[in-house]
Amino acid sequence: MAVMTYIDAINSALREEMARDSSVFLIGEDIGKMGGAFRATKGLLEEFGEDRVIDSPLAEGVIVSSSIGAAMAGMRPVPEIQFVDFITPAMDAITQQAAKLRYRSAGTQTCPITLRVCYGGSVGGGLYHSQSNTSWFIHCPGLVVVAPSRPYDAKGLLKAAIRDNNPVMFFEHKKLYRSMKEEVPESDYTVPLMKAAIARPGSDITAISYGYTLQLTLQAAEQMKQKHDVDVEVIDLRTLAPMDTDTFLESVAKTSRAVIVHEDNRTLGIGAEVAATIAEQAFDCLDAPILRVTAPDVPLLPAAAELENFCTVSADKIVAALERSMAY
Amino acid sequence: MATTFEPMVLTQDTVTEPLPAEPDGALYRRLYSYMLKCRMVEERIRVLYRQGRFAGNYFAAVGQEATEVGVTLDLLPEDTIAPSHRNFVTHIMKGTPLPLMFAHIYGRKTSPDQGRSAPAHCGYAPLNIITPSSTIAAQLNIGTGIALAYRMQHRSNVVVALSGEGSTSLGFWHEAVNFAGVRRLPILFVVENNGYAESVPAAIQTAVDDISVKAQAYGIPGISVDGNDVVAVYAAAREAIDRARKGKGPTLLECKTYRWYGHSEIDPAKYRDPAEVAYWKSKDPIAAMELRLESAGLWTEEWKKGLEAEFNREIDEAIAFAESSPRPEGEEALDQVYSFSIRERELEPKVWEPRFTVQRGE
Repeated sequence: MAVMTYIDAINSALREEMARDSSVFLIGEDIGKMGGAFRATKGLLEEFGEDRVIDSPLAEGVIVSSSIGAAMAGMRPVPEIQFVDFITPAMDAITQQAAKLRYRSAGTQTCPITLRVCYGGSVGGGLYHSQSNTSWFIHCPGLVVVAPSRPYDAKGLLKAAIRDNNPVMFFEHKKLYRSMKEEVPESDYTVPLMKAAIARPGSDITAISYGYTLQLTLQAAEQMKQKHDVDVEVIDLRTLAPMDTDTFLESVAKTSRAVIVHEDNRTLGIGAEVAATIAEQAFDCLDAPILRVTAPDVPLLPAAAELENFCTVSADKIVAALERSMAY
Repeated sequence: MATTFEPMVLTQDTVTEPLPAEPDGALYRRLYSYMLKCRMVEERIRVLYRQGRFAGNYFAAVGQEATEVGVTLDLLPEDTIAPSHRNFVTHIMKGTPLPLMFAHIYGRKTSPDQGRSAPAHCGYAPLNIITPSSTIAAQLNIGTGIALAYRMQHRSNVVVALSGEGSTSLGFWHEAVNFAGVRRLPILFVVENNGYAESVPAAIQTAVDDISVKAQAYGIPGISVDGNDVVAVYAAAREAIDRARKGKGPTLLECKTYRWYGHSEIDPAKYRDPAEVAYWKSKDPIAAMELRLESAGLWTEEWKKGLEAEFNREIDEAIAFAESSPRPEGEEALDQVYSFSIRERELEPKVWEPRFTVQRGE
């Protein structure tokens, strides 16, 4: 074991998978000599050479679609989108090509790519370095969408994603990159895709989140324990699509209350899907309305701290929602 | 502002030139017979469509056979074709069994994609033909990725990526050619300039006369050929493919040709001057090659009739196979979204009951 940041965990997973499988290669903007905008690929060019750590032209469409082609020809590409805010030029490649290739060829042509995407706000990044946009891809069958909330999962899920036979979008929250550390195995391990985790067991109310806001939800859960002696069960979705619904449904059946937390916009965010699933499949279990803590429906995120703070989720905002549900 | 349209003028008219003094008879007869087969297959598909024997639509390349055949004749099974919606007949040169092609047209269970894609959007994994999408130029970028993999794997295989002149207006087209140029990838970009992108003439699609000049911006060779001259297309493609196989990088090949019919079977193409259509039909690539072969003593009416009989028999058998093939079951729509099944999730959602029945607050 070693104490690692989230970015260390990503780097470690990439290094291990590249050493394990010679068909794994990386392609993206500034990932070579510079080691990536956030240094996720630091040292990998030196270790694996220019053929396997490819500095791409400044064209997100090419980053993704050349990966699709290479995957069809037997490679295991791990392309990187530097900021999800810049992913739009690759939307055709992701949603029309990668997501549909297996389907439109009846499984005879596939593209096992792992598209690493840096996302998220609360870093003063402004409108074009703070977006989440996870919902765009959750709405697109054929894609596996993963968003780890901690270093241990970041490494294990990335390794699992690279070995998976589906196109995986791997969302890495930039605020998490260096804000927390934990013990992470230096040996080989994976964390299963399509499986949520109980990040904190509890019996009184269920809080469901992923990524950076999962950490805020854990803080909120601790406050609820201190202030009200309420035991919040925190569910980390980990994979957003296809979603493991059993884990949160089982929790809601136990607690009878649900609060969903995410930093993406409210309308048709994953909270809407989780809420609809609970309403459809566990309606009789509920003792309170399902609540959501999300960003408002505005372009995310405005740059000035006052504006950003208004839009972002905080532990206090989550506590307020948990209290409201408990009081119902 | 009024836009005027001038009929496209070929940069050189080589169609009537005699074949070389000692022509490779076998090769030229192959080029001819493949063009004839492509024409017969597509004309039959058009009849089937008008008879209502398959649903959807079809995008015929009739009139463009010299290009379809010339750029694909030499490909190996391990080489890739990255087709657009108008390159269905390239399957014939690659070797996809005709019954599977017609099963695809009919959307039957026996088609390579088991009824998922539209009739003209056929792929075939065993021979590396990418199943096309309808988003224009996407196949070029995927093709560059396959070419990238070929190079990483130290293989001498190549990719032939086809698109129309309309695709060159998309950023995607330029991204693909740029990336292939930067990385010197083994790929041939074929632009079939058939004069129209659906209804929009080439003259208001691009300000250049020759699409091939766009290659200059990406540091790769660009060639424009008479796309109705199968010998010229074949020679240019062969040279480009040889270069790619030897690691000398990509080529842009513009083939100037003409789409005899509408964009699709539901398009009567009334936006075109009938005189223009007549002019191009007089430049029929098959008829032109027939004359040239005959002059060189390589063509007889009897041989042609024999070919037609053989192709008709093959087509009849393929249609019979397609029409007797099973249709997919509706629930198969749930399969092959992922590598794992989603049937249970979609068809049998569970219902949860409360774990505790005690009243809260007690």
